Amino acid sequence: MVDEKRLRDEVKKTISRDDVKYVVGYEKGTYGFQATPCFAYKPEDADKFIFSPLCVHNLAVFPMLEEKPPLRKGEEPDTRKIGVVVKGCDSRAIVQIIQEKGLDREKVVIIGIPCTGVIDPKKIKDKFPGHIKNVEVKDEDDKFIITVDGKTQKIPKEELMPDKCKTCEYPTPVLYDILIGKEIKSTKKEGYDEVASFEKKSLKDRWDYWEKQFEKCIRCYACRNACPLCYCKECMVDQLNPQWVRRSVNLSENTAWNLLRAFHLAGRCIGCGQCERACPMDIPLMKLNKKIEKEIKEMFEYIPGINAEEKPLLAMFKPDDPEEFIL
Amino acid sequence: MDKMILSKSDFPKVITEIIKKNNVYAPVKNNDTIIFDQIKKPSEMNLDFCNSKVPPKKLLFHQTETLFKFTPGTKAKIESVDINENNVIFGIRPCDAKSLAILDHAFQGDFEDPYFLKRRKNTILIGLSCNKPELNCFCTSFDDSPASSKYVDILFTDIGDKYYVEIKNDKGKQLTKNISNLLKPATENDTKKRKEVEQKAINMISRHQKTEGIAYKLDKIFENPYWKKVAFKCVGCGTCTYLCPTCHCFDIQDETTLTKGARVRVWDTCMNPEYTLQASGYNPRPARTNRVRNRVYHKYNYYPKNYDVIACVGCGRCIDLCPVNIDIIDVVTRAGEVKP
Amino acid sequence: MKENPYQPWLATIEDVREEVGGQRPIKTFKLKFQDKNIQNNFSFLPGQCAMVSLFGQGECFFAISSSPTKKGYIEVSVMKLGKVTTALHELESGDTVGVRGPYGNYFDVEGWKGSNLVFIGGGIGQAPLRSLINYIVDNRKSYGKLDVIYGARTSKDISYKQEFEELEKRKDVNVHLSIDVKEDGWNKFVGFVPDNLLQVKPSPKNTIAITCGPPIMIKFVIQNLEKLGFSEDQIFTTLEMRMKCGIGKCGRCNIGNLYVCKDGPVFSYKQLKNIYGER
Repeated sequence: MVDEKRLRDEVKKTISRDDVKYVVGYEKGTYGFQATPCFAYKPEDADKFIFSPLCVHNLAVFPMLEEKPPLRKGEEPDTRKIGVVVKGCDSRAIVQIIQEKGLDREKVVIIGIPCTGVIDPKKIKDKFPGHIKNVEVKDEDDKFIITVDGKTQKIPKEELMPDKCKTCEYPTPVLYDILIGKEIKSTKKEGYDEVASFEKKSLKDRWDYWEKQFEKCIRCYACRNACPLCYCKECMVDQLNPQWVRRSVNLSENTAWNLLRAFHLAGRCIGCGQCERACPMDIPLMKLNKKIEKEIKEMFEYIPGINAEEKPLLAMFKPDDPEEFIL
Repeated sequence: MDKMILSKSDFPKVITEIIKKNNVYAPVKNNDTIIFDQIKKPSEMNLDFCNSKVPPKKLLFHQTETLFKFTPGTKAKIESVDINENNVIFGIRPCDAKSLAILDHAFQGDFEDPYFLKRRKNTILIGLSCNKPELNCFCTSFDDSPASSKYVDILFTDIGDKYYVEIKNDKGKQLTKNISNLLKPATENDTKKRKEVEQKAINMISRHQKTEGIAYKLDKIFENPYWKKVAFKCVGCGTCTYLCPTCHCFDIQDETTLTKGARVRVWDTCMNPEYTLQASGYNPRPARTNRVRNRVYHKYNYYPKNYDVIACVGCGRCIDLCPVNIDIIDVVTRAGEVKP
Repeated sequence: MKENPYQPWLATIEDVREEVGGQRPIKTFKLKFQDKNIQNNFSFLPGQCAMVSLFGQGECFFAISSSPTKKGYIEVSVMKLGKVTTALHELESGDTVGVRGPYGNYFDVEGWKGSNLVFIGGGIGQAPLRSLINYIVDNRKSYGKLDVIYGARTSKDISYKQEFEELEKRKDVNVHLSIDVKEDGWNKFVGFVPDNLLQVKPSPKNTIAITCGPPIMIKFVIQNLEKLGFSEDQIFTTLEMRMKCGIGKCGRCNIGNLYVCKDGPVFSYKQLKNIYGER
């Protein structure tokens, strides 16, 4: 269980600093099993902050969404820092962005929370269908304690965790300024089992599967907008001169979009699953990303988002990089 | 209005008959997601759902619509595209049917949109009342009911082992001409049962949005910092606009190969930063605050000012699917309480 | 009224005239519809706009800068700024484009009969004003005093040079040109258009003021007009937003509950004060 009181105190301390603009964390949602991002501009706002297994969102997307409004005469730009509350996986996104020089290390104050697993919103909705309003969720060892309208149940974590938590190797944030609680060592290993079993299928089966999935796509670009690592000022699909991907929505363009996005995230995707959660049509985007992650690991022995000093994978080369495709 | 009864065992025969002369669209299950798609047999339908992911506006206002074809370059010719379909949408919920009536206003007016309106004229709506509304349904906040027959041509209500069928107009009568032998007149008991089902559904709706005088109130709080608080969470994903049954913004693009081209109309979202970006580089809505505020105002202030109806039907899709839990019920109810 | 408002009519470019060169060139295109019937029936009033499309590139919304009193053709003035306008600037006489329109509302030329008129334009904003000025000049007797105030950055940036020279020659029109920065050989007003306006000092009595140009210029012009005593419903302007459909359906160009393509682009200052929205 995460010490929420300590979290609130640390946030209060952070926001009281002169050089911090705001801190973004989680607060209780408006209904059912929801937590929602919360912004604290003053110390009083910090009382709303919580951390429970419902806090599944990756908040690293917010420092990249900062808009810079045009300045009036004589006005100085606001260069204060932004505080972010992160779990283990989220911190890797921030580290990856720092690696790519998308963010300055000095511009963020990272409040890290060692995480023992969160709840997948789709799985819990299936488990508790109906009109759920008042919930309380806690976690204890390997079970979630869920109280709905007064009745409490203990459910094993394996049943409700998203897939990323089942193979999580970094429960403690890899980079932080403040840590709420003690460091947790990982007991799990990413074996890419799902990717391996999918690879065993025939080419025709795999292609049919993805065709069916991409037909559903409505090109809302929620996956791109919710992803913390998709922060290009002008995305390739918005370009008109030349137009790389047409605006029409059909199987061909949808396939192009999804595959192009997966490739643009090669060596950068840290597997937070935000894209899959944001997708309204339930397309299994993490399968694509995990496959590329596996290839990157095998070819280059590189894991994204671990070391902020490292150079980004596809922006450098080593003399002993694999070359079978050239020679 | 004719009130009839159809037993559930005869129901597939009705659908088979309608399929003979029309394109029939009904809810189907595609990998755990319910969407409206064309069916060839009644067994392809899946009626165990609350509402489809993508609203049925997609069937009338296609996501990608070819406006006309042309030969690109400086010596061009144009070729028009014709629309000739007879459609029947089965299983549309009353809220989505209302949304089509709301969209009519936008597509009519001084200039009539031939694509949407032609399809609308040639489409017959067979509604299906909701027996079990979900948590985020709030159609009752707009004086509507989950079993309303106001905007459909025929309404089916599930009252146990039979369907209560209300045929509202000539279009509906024409469609059911060939199977009228399967329909029996409703008894008083049946009508009572139908009222009970409707009341039960209305009682299940637990969330309400305060919409009294909202257009007037919103006029006063345009510059209020409340909108910054609401919009700060938004990541600009656009899910709410793509799945909203009353959103109608679109983009027009020319798509060409070397020898031929077409001008297409595609859905667009006002949440996109480039939505109002002008060629000079100036953007009147540069921040998420402006765009989120514009969306709420479009639904609850601009549309009522132009057409006298709030452009929200209470389907709850935006609430269910927003990845950061921006809740329109909450946003508008609190806007009503903000001190100007 | 057409059956399909999205489908343009074909028109041929009869003439291309370069108004301004340099970094942001402006060209005026004279367009004639290929179908004679449509050309004869295409009627519009000053202030209305048309959608000109280049097949394969896209469409843009332009103000029709020729007066409706000149039959047989329409003219649009285009500044080279984005994808479609750059491609338009490459076109020559004889090429085909698509035109649909007229869209938008118009200047109230009927209601203004008998009044004095002051036109304040800057840069490319002169395009809709040119249509209006030429219409008024062709119906000169129905209107009172005419003042035309126009300014550009340098003397090279002045659009419609030839027409201004002809206007200046007329005794029944007062033309006040200005440029922003001092130049050799320029003996007229030097300074910004709002300041030129204060110098000309038109009287607000029975006068309508119409202004078009960059947003910052409009802001100061309206301020100065109010200083001179003009009321809200005596001031008219044109606004612009990014547009796609031009007929009030795609939802892009709205300011508050008004669509610039349908309820505009001509707005009175009174209207602008009362609508909410991003300006």
